[in-house]
Amino acid sequence: MTTIRLENLVKRFGDFTALKTMDLEIRDGEFMALLGPSGCGKSTTMNMIAGMEDPSGGRILFDGRDMNGVPMGKRGVGFVFQNYAIFTHMTVRQNLAYGPKMRGMSRSEIDRRVKNIADFLQLTPLLDQKSAKLSVNILQRLAIGRSAIVEPAIFLLDEPLSNVDAAFRAVMRTELKHLQKQFKQTMVYVTHDQLEAMTMADRIAVMDHGVLQQVGTPLEVYNNPANIFVAKFIGAPGMNLIAGELAETDRGLAVDLGSWGVSPPLSDDLAAAARAAGSRAVQYGFRPEEATLGSERKGLRARVTFVERIGARTIVHAESGQAVKVVTENDVGFSIGDVVSIVPTPAAVRLFDAASTAAIRGG
Amino acid sequence: MSATETLPGAAAAAPRTIPPVDRESRRLGFRLTLPTQLLVLFIAGFPLLMQLYISLTDWSPLDGVGWWKAWESWNSFANYTDLLEDRRWWGALWRTFIIMLVCVPAEFLLALGLATLFMDDFPGKRIFYSILLMPMMVVPAVAGYMFFMLFQSGGPFNGILSALTGMDIRIAWLSDPTLALVAVMIADIWQWTPLMFLILLAGLVGVPEDQLKAATLLGANWRQRFFTIMLPRIKTIMVIALAIRVIEIFKIFDTLYIMTGGGPGVATETISVYIYKVTTQDLIWGYVAAIALVILIALSVLAVFAMKRMEAAKNGGRA
Repeated sequence: MTTIRLENLVKRFGDFTALKTMDLEIRDGEFMALLGPSGCGKSTTMNMIAGMEDPSGGRILFDGRDMNGVPMGKRGVGFVFQNYAIFTHMTVRQNLAYGPKMRGMSRSEIDRRVKNIADFLQLTPLLDQKSAKLSVNILQRLAIGRSAIVEPAIFLLDEPLSNVDAAFRAVMRTELKHLQKQFKQTMVYVTHDQLEAMTMADRIAVMDHGVLQQVGTPLEVYNNPANIFVAKFIGAPGMNLIAGELAETDRGLAVDLGSWGVSPPLSDDLAAAARAAGSRAVQYGFRPEEATLGSERKGLRARVTFVERIGARTIVHAESGQAVKVVTENDVGFSIGDVVSIVPTPAAVRLFDAASTAAIRGG
Repeated sequence: MSATETLPGAAAAAPRTIPPVDRESRRLGFRLTLPTQLLVLFIAGFPLLMQLYISLTDWSPLDGVGWWKAWESWNSFANYTDLLEDRRWWGALWRTFIIMLVCVPAEFLLALGLATLFMDDFPGKRIFYSILLMPMMVVPAVAGYMFFMLFQSGGPFNGILSALTGMDIRIAWLSDPTLALVAVMIADIWQWTPLMFLILLAGLVGVPEDQLKAATLLGANWRQRFFTIMLPRIKTIMVIALAIRVIEIFKIFDTLYIMTGGGPGVATETISVYIYKVTTQDLIWGYVAAIALVILIALSVLAVFAMKRMEAAKNGGRA
């Protein structure tokens, strides 16, 4: 149960800057996901929290205590590795008892703790098995149990589901979230899979190229992306973005999208914000799920290039210079080559400054 | 780290039934490799049978008859019973064991220490690595001549001891029965620690880094990591390294023969040197065949034992 604060954290490897001044507070008992594509600095951040790497600048504080110079064995950090790093030459019991044993706890204390944690994680029947031949979900439980038995202040999980096949991942996600709720521990979870982050995390920190892009609850990040990167990265498929210029029409401020036509007028809040921002070149954004398709001539005009029918929903790919996707719940009667009209839900339209890529927000 | 190492449960055992097509292709494979198999059998099997045959006779090349006529001097198992009472043989065997009991542990501990040091980075690591491996590359006969010169009473070894102690030390290393044995051991340790080092280092480098980090995060200090993670995980490799060296010590010859010729007297006479002398000086080849066969069987038993240990370690816990 610990609050983690990162203050102006920087990490450089020679000339390469892996992390550029990161500030982040991870609250007590929170499940925080560090999300980003590979090479975004999320693993580096986690390794610095664990003490495997020293920061090039800035501080890491656990409950206000500066962790600089504290060796990783003394930080009270539980770490679940990508491949679980189970000691395969030992039995399940020896794995669980490893931490307490190394810390010189008494025989009876070790037995008591192993018994408790094994009961809790339903590992009791497996205690005397060699850990080399266990299945993946048991390995995950064992990895968590082995860290949890020494009662760490925080838990760090480094993409623990990336080696698991897709079908099993859903099971493992549920189990992991369930365990976190029971442990009530501060957890930091590194992943490049937005689905994992969205489903499990209390808050998500989206990172790219060593820069923290946005921190917020999964829905905040999904609904109000702070910039173009987050808008594209979150969501499957990501947000549609069309380059355009602000234009005054007789029904209010709208965006001239070139060959797409002119967008429906912006909501009052967004129009006010766009006027205040002053820049004319913008990216017009809307979620594929937040638009309707029709054939009448009142929305954005585009030509259908592909129709993906997944069963529960249909993804229509349309193009007019730039490509756009629209997700509908029902099958649609369009086929390749048809001209369609796309009408984004007014409240779901987002604008981004074309130059700075930052979101233009109303209110 | 491979996926199978990481996720052992994922690899399910395949059912062991052989479909007919497979059996057919197996038969073809057997026919195709038959000539080679016969050749190997001839190379390995024929000399062995010949050796067994001669070992049951008193045949010597001085007899003037071909070895296939050795039955003329058939003596049943007299060579083997003679061996039991041959004091020079038992002495040679004993000395070989002494050399083994000193050299193999010394080489092992030195190599393990060095390999552990080489796990970390330090300036000049690559240069030291090359220097360390050099003794292994030296032709054993050349190494023998080097040490022969180093251990002369007016040689560099005594020179260094003199410089260190400030006294004029003139120890006759190679003509003192005990010191000659020590000198031979020093030469063997010098030449073969690198091999052990190389094998153990390969093993240590293969220990997954994540496991060491996990152990550190769980509070293990360096010593605990070494004994609970690193050593158990290189168990198999340790057995291989030890087995190789034990078997090679049984065959120790070139270096030793050039340094001392087995002397003074028989003070450094090992079984290889003994066999060599019986072969070239006494010329009783029936007896030689018997000795060699006994050693072959002993070493085979040792090799099988080592392989069993390796199998067990592999099945037990991917050591």
